[in-house]
Amino acid sequence: MQYKIINDAYGNVGSIELTKEDNTKISIPLDEANTDYQEFLSWKSEGNEPEPADE
Amino acid sequence: MSLALNGTNGVTYNDGTLQSSAPVGKNLIINGDMKIAQRGTSATGIASGNNFVLDRFIFNTGSIGTWTLSQDTDAPDGFSNSMKLQCTTANASPTGTNWCNFQQRIEAQNLQHLAYGTSSAKTITLSFWVKSNKTGTYTAMIYGYDSSPARTISAEYTISAADTWEKKTITFAGDSSGQIDNDNGAGFNIYWALGTGPDRKSSPLQTSWGAYDSTAFVSSSQVNLADSTSNYINITGVQLEVGENATPFENRMYSQELAMCQRYFQSFGGSNVADTVGQGTSFSTTNTYVLIHLLQTMRSVPSLGYSAVGDWRLHYPGVIGLEATVMAIATNESNNTKVIVNTTTATNASMGGGKCIQLSADSTINARLTFSAEL
Repeated sequence: MQYKIINDAYGNVGSIELTKEDNTKISIPLDEANTDYQEFLSWKSEGNEPEPADE
Repeated sequence: MSLALNGTNGVTYNDGTLQSSAPVGKNLIINGDMKIAQRGTSATGIASGNNFVLDRFIFNTGSIGTWTLSQDTDAPDGFSNSMKLQCTTANASPTGTNWCNFQQRIEAQNLQHLAYGTSSAKTITLSFWVKSNKTGTYTAMIYGYDSSPARTISAEYTISAADTWEKKTITFAGDSSGQIDNDNGAGFNIYWALGTGPDRKSSPLQTSWGAYDSTAFVSSSQVNLADSTSNYINITGVQLEVGENATPFENRMYSQELAMCQRYFQSFGGSNVADTVGQGTSFSTTNTYVLIHLLQTMRSVPSLGYSAVGDWRLHYPGVIGLEATVMAIATNESNNTKVIVNTTTATNASMGGGKCIQLSADSTINARLTFSAEL
């Protein structure tokens, strides 16, 4: 499981990309009611850091 | 039709049932008759985590066997479908807190009429049809998210006859000390345990509402459905309603049930090999924003799932057939009624900025976009 920051066309953080163990991907919005985003925040609060956005 | 008023308990209908709540909209469970399967009708090799096949129901397993989950046509009279769980790799001796279960989470704002946290807290009744080769004691539980600490109540039920449909009814007292927030988060999780390691059943079962105790969540007599690859369980007709009695299952039309499911999950694509799922505007020579209007207002801004990026292409103006292969997909500036899909392609001078673009399947029936706002 790997998280990666995805920037929008303006260069701002637009979403979080999650690559699952089976290599499928989902794009997670920055919405605190979204349970995938809640899991990302929980994962990050444990000291983990996502892969940075592409330049 | 004859009716008999029955004091403060409700109305007795001519089929003998005492109905203490309105028959329309009484069932707090969505897809209780297992007829909606937007993600597909089966999944094999399930060995870990939370898994969805039939809408709204989660199958959770942690190191207890491997399973096939499917929509089955085996069902009691009056139902067309059930959810079937078949053990395909056994684990006869689960350890620690490892367990498997299926669940449905209910949105908190749909539970406000239960009046939890007040002296008027309502009694509720869970009913369902179940069939299994493995007889014995099982456990159903309710987990209330919004109290701090979370509060739970559990109850045993028994599957008495092998390979036979049986209707089970469990009544839970209201929780005058509990709390259910009036929001779009999870209020209840309804659990059905299928097997557990010793650590979840080492204390006497908590059969009254109280603070969550992981050691008292599952009955010490709970069977282990994972102990043989011969084992299966089917369930359908799931209903949770206000009152002390189980009333007849609330049959909703397919369109109603689908719309209710689409508050939590929607799927686009897959109807043909060139299926178009949305249109948008090119933002640059590499990025296009494709607008997709959601079919229902979703619970939250949804996560965007997608099949392989190679399943997709963009059509843009010019000579017929001009197209670009998609290299990346992301949600962007979305809300719970619409999603903007940011697609990235290789630099393509013909695409430019401000051109009308169409996102379509690239010659495959497998191209899917999914939107999930599950609890």
